Amino acid sequence: MATPSTLLRSPYPAASTFQSQATQAGRRAITYGLLIVFAVFTVFPFFWMVVTSFKSGNAIFELPPSFVPDKLFQPDMFDNYIEVLTRHNFIRYTINSFFVSTMTGIGQVITSSLAGFAFARLQFRGKNVLFGLLLFTAFFPTEVTIIPEFILGARVFDPLLEPIGGWMNTFAPLIVPSFMVGSFGTFLMREFFSTLPKELDEAAIIDGANVFRIYRSIYLPLSRPAMTTLFLLSFINNWNELLRPVLYISSREMQTVTMGLTTFQGEFESEWNLLLTGSIIAIVPLLVVYIFMQRYIVEGIATTGLKS
Amino acid sequence: MRYYKPITPYLFIAPMIGGLLLFRIGPILASVVISFTRWDIISDPIWLGLGNYQELFADDTFWRISGNTLLFVIAFVPGTMILGMAMALLVNRKLRGIAFFRGLYFMPYITSMVAVAIAWNWIFSRRFGLLNNLLLSIFGVETLQTLFATDRVPPAWLSDYPFVIASIVIVSVWKAAGFQMMVFLAGLQSVPQTLIEAARIDGANGWQVFRHITLPLISPVTFFVLIISIIDAFRTFEVTFTMTQGGRLSSGSTLAYGIYQNAFLWDRMGYGSAMAVVLVLIISALTFINFAARRRWVAQDVY
Repeated sequence: MATPSTLLRSPYPAASTFQSQATQAGRRAITYGLLIVFAVFTVFPFFWMVVTSFKSGNAIFELPPSFVPDKLFQPDMFDNYIEVLTRHNFIRYTINSFFVSTMTGIGQVITSSLAGFAFARLQFRGKNVLFGLLLFTAFFPTEVTIIPEFILGARVFDPLLEPIGGWMNTFAPLIVPSFMVGSFGTFLMREFFSTLPKELDEAAIIDGANVFRIYRSIYLPLSRPAMTTLFLLSFINNWNELLRPVLYISSREMQTVTMGLTTFQGEFESEWNLLLTGSIIAIVPLLVVYIFMQRYIVEGIATTGLKS
Repeated sequence: MRYYKPITPYLFIAPMIGGLLLFRIGPILASVVISFTRWDIISDPIWLGLGNYQELFADDTFWRISGNTLLFVIAFVPGTMILGMAMALLVNRKLRGIAFFRGLYFMPYITSMVAVAIAWNWIFSRRFGLLNNLLLSIFGVETLQTLFATDRVPPAWLSDYPFVIASIVIVSVWKAAGFQMMVFLAGLQSVPQTLIEAARIDGANGWQVFRHITLPLISPVTFFVLIISIIDAFRTFEVTFTMTQGGRLSSGSTLAYGIYQNAFLWDRMGYGSAMAVVLVLIISALTFINFAARRRWVAQDVY
């Protein structure tokens, strides 16, 4: 960091370069040291998850705890994984989570891009008030709105939707609310649309395109990066959502992987090797998404931070 | 020039408005009404007026979990912000492999709270957990007793007060810090390098540059992070549900968990709603204070 200024300040460039090279190497060593310390703290719980998942039921209660799992490279190494996936329903849970998270992600993109387009490009009465309201509600966690939402679902939607399967113990309550509520998404899409040049729509208007066509064939194709970001963030959030599944889902085969994990914890309280195997199964899909899509996720977060 | 009917924009925002009314604004208002009743959902609600609030303010448990929530906020908000800033400063350099570290630090944020909290439960487990075994082997029983000012060592991190709050704070800070880092990093990278170099030439040291140039310039970002942290600090359902289930005598409970407990475990919709209304008021007050204080420390139009 100090290189350019030290160089400029020093009357003896050569000597100073030599000195700054030495201090620079020292600084770099300290930086790497700190980076590694933070990395160890960040990764340790994940590392410990993996270690425990390769231990047998007896080995987890060894004292002091061993860092080398007893099943490592043994023929039964993956037994915990096989047991959790098959006997404890985790394949089903994972499929459910994929379905719910994908649907909410798609919903978020549709709802937020429509609203974001209107807020960025169209004029209408009450625009600022509505946008303000939208951002204001983002301050309140789901916990404060969940009681009326639950009552609405149980007393109104459930009887109303009876002919097509009802509302309780379906995926609908996990999908519809986050499908429709998108303060963050609307904000993100509005910011993105505002950066596009207005001349684009003017040319299209002259050609006689209507407003929906402009949205569909000009704005949507151009906003693929923003939509990907939004889809991914919504996917991750809904994969991790716990409150709604716990309240609405009662049958085992409808549980999402996050909820399934808590049920599993309730039933196998002290079988830590199996529990942590379940945890790994629940986060591996997210890590895969993260590793391949990191750029979109990180950029989305960075933009919101700077724009607000 | 208008090329669309006045009604058209409302069609675009219709789904979002529907969601806003049905799932956000509507429920917040409905909570107020429900909080004046006794209601188990199955039978019809009974009007109580301010009864729930009277009970709430006379209830020791309510004050305990409010205290826990306050403690959590006080520890969590500065905790993640300082850690996030420290990490951002650390990874804001051009070094080989720096992208790898950034990616790594952000990882806990995208993983499921339930999954990582279970891993932490195992680390915090009283007899067989790694933490207590480590503490015992480093310090021994007596030193630990003086260190923690209690005879009951090693502590039960998931049920003994105040350790139970410390545990959920540690896990929440660990999980959220990477997010804060990313936002701070974006802020740091938007600070013009020329300003920093100019200050350097004038003889400012690293701390002075940070304190008088970087920090004021990124104050809008810091404000954003503060707001997000406060919102996050009240969103404690998942961590409490997975780690403490409220704890013994609500020692590890928070307002978010109390709402869930009252409404959905004990069928007290009215009482739970009263708690939700209190939480709405607390969050609104904090948000209001933050925006009012904004002018005093957040730079306007810095870019």
